[in-house]
Amino acid sequence: MKYVATVNDESRVVDVTGGDGRYRIGIGDEVWDVDARVTAPGVYSLLIDGASYTAGVVERDGACVVEVGGEWYDITVEDQTRHVLRTRGEVGSGTRSRTLMAPLPGKISRVAVRPGDTVQAGDTLLVIEAMKMENEFKATGAGTVAEVRVAPGQAVNAGDILIVMA
Amino acid sequence: MKIKKLLVANRGEIAVRVLRACREMGIATVAVYSEADREAPHVQMADEAYALGAAPATESYLVVDRLVQTARRAGADAVHPGYGFLSENPAFAESCTAAGLTFVGPPAAAMRRMGSKTAARALARELGVAMVPGTLEAVASDADAARAAREIGYPVMLKAAMGGGGKGMRLVRRAEDLPEALRAARAEAAAAFGDAAVYLERAIAEPRHIEIQVLADAHGEVIHLGERECSIQRRHQKLVEECPSPFVDAALRARMGEAACRLARAAGYVNAGTVEFLVDADRNFYFLEMNTRLQVEHPVTEMVTGVDLVREQLRIAGGEKLALAQADVAWRGWAIECRVNAEDPFAGWLPSPGTITALHVPGGPWVRDDSGVYEGYTVPRFYDTLMSKLIVWGADREAACERMARALAEYRVVGVRTTIPALARIVGHPDFRAGRLSTAFLERVLPELRANDGRFASVAIIAAALAAHERVRQATAPTDSTAVGAWRAAGITGWRRP
Repeated sequence: MKYVATVNDESRVVDVTGGDGRYRIGIGDEVWDVDARVTAPGVYSLLIDGASYTAGVVERDGACVVEVGGEWYDITVEDQTRHVLRTRGEVGSGTRSRTLMAPLPGKISRVAVRPGDTVQAGDTLLVIEAMKMENEFKATGAGTVAEVRVAPGQAVNAGDILIVMA
Repeated sequence: MKIKKLLVANRGEIAVRVLRACREMGIATVAVYSEADREAPHVQMADEAYALGAAPATESYLVVDRLVQTARRAGADAVHPGYGFLSENPAFAESCTAAGLTFVGPPAAAMRRMGSKTAARALARELGVAMVPGTLEAVASDADAARAAREIGYPVMLKAAMGGGGKGMRLVRRAEDLPEALRAARAEAAAAFGDAAVYLERAIAEPRHIEIQVLADAHGEVIHLGERECSIQRRHQKLVEECPSPFVDAALRARMGEAACRLARAAGYVNAGTVEFLVDADRNFYFLEMNTRLQVEHPVTEMVTGVDLVREQLRIAGGEKLALAQADVAWRGWAIECRVNAEDPFAGWLPSPGTITALHVPGGPWVRDDSGVYEGYTVPRFYDTLMSKLIVWGADREAACERMARALAEYRVVGVRTTIPALARIVGHPDFRAGRLSTAFLERVLPELRANDGRFASVAIIAAALAAHERVRQATAPTDSTAVGAWRAAGITGWRRP
């Protein structure tokens, strides 16, 4: 079964064969024999060439967060057919709307910008109060604010679009 | 006077801690829970548990009347407030006492004396204990604050007058940043302590945060149990603490301990409390504030002194004399504590509530995990991010560091992001190992802390691919009944009390 794994915007073809705990896995040109067991929900004990690794995998909305050896990796895995179909029709990178989405549920504490404002990287856009802490969200690049979809005091959910940049 | 039944007016790991001490002393226990905490471990651990109200703390854990009524109805004769919430609220202490409940903590008057940070500073000044230069009262207006800041000199630190735990604190380097910092500090203070009052202090360059644990009984005896160094902080909240401090020698410990006891005595303090100081590079110490409650990091003192602080709290509240005299206090070995918070250290410490799908807690010699979670538990988003505290003891500081590094490597949490990877890097950092600590440590070291250096990328891809492969396989396989499914099919839905 062929998949495409994307880490840090780099995609690689991953070929998985086998089952019942014993797999042969090809990543690009390299091949590994892997003995894999799921020892707890989301926990994989992997024996690869005698080395023992334990990886924690959490999947959310198609993306994976893998913790192994005290390191964190954000990985997206799709089966190869779907990846090809999805990326074939993609328009070349031109100007895209940049949106600020709420990464967690909370309450808007303060909105620092209005539509039409120009901002530089590092400027505060808004502040969300969550888990008893005030979290500031800053512009990652220069730009103009196109839309502000929230107001102070408003409760937001993870994924809600808060600000749209031009 | 001895306590027979106690209500814990708190939640999370500290509620579990208090319940454990009660169980060891034969005290019956009562837990309270908000709607979001029905499945919390403290509810499961207590003998009795009662609903408090809706999830937000203002509708549950902070509602004085409901807590007092619940304690009375359950027939409790004492209340332990934990830390945070109402633990430093004199009105709560008074309501308990008025209702005939023993409050496990200081008298309301002492709480008032020291709980207002500005009043405490006034007392320190009276006693000749050195302080960080700053305002003696909360600032009345933005203009007031600006004037005070100009006099004190930038950089200044804004702090909540009724605060603690790092909330409502802001470092301000320039006058232009003051208005926004005031707004944010006031908002945080109001949300955390119900009081937006803020005061100013000069910000000392790279100080060490060193605090003294005091214990006082109702018979006039006050002792100190030495210091804890808590310099590793992010957003002014402690992350790693240790006992003793690598910077404190016996002479400094004696001087700081004496000053702390003098303050506690003057305030009429009873029970456990902590006096916080800033220590500069020349070993001058400056009084910061006194926390009129048990601290989060109390375990490191316990591991090194052999004193069970919660047990002592309960004994003192029950009218007993202190179990030891100052001369009996001894410090053996070294303890380090790391706070495991549900936060993403590589995304600005963004809170990460969610379900813990897998949890593996380290064990082995002298490893202690004070937890408020369990595998399968959903960390709610209404309270703070602390999941558990990992504490280790070693014969010396080096042994404690090695043990903590080992324990962190064993610790596995799947489902929520935690501070564990950052803690591992902090404890392994050469400056940490050398004891070169200050409150600027984390800010300095943070840019070096990266989520990964790519060493395990291939292994991570293998794991992710297998997870996807497993999903595909399960989606196409015939459904098999899991253990839970079989249980439900048999019609077993649980039991009710008659």
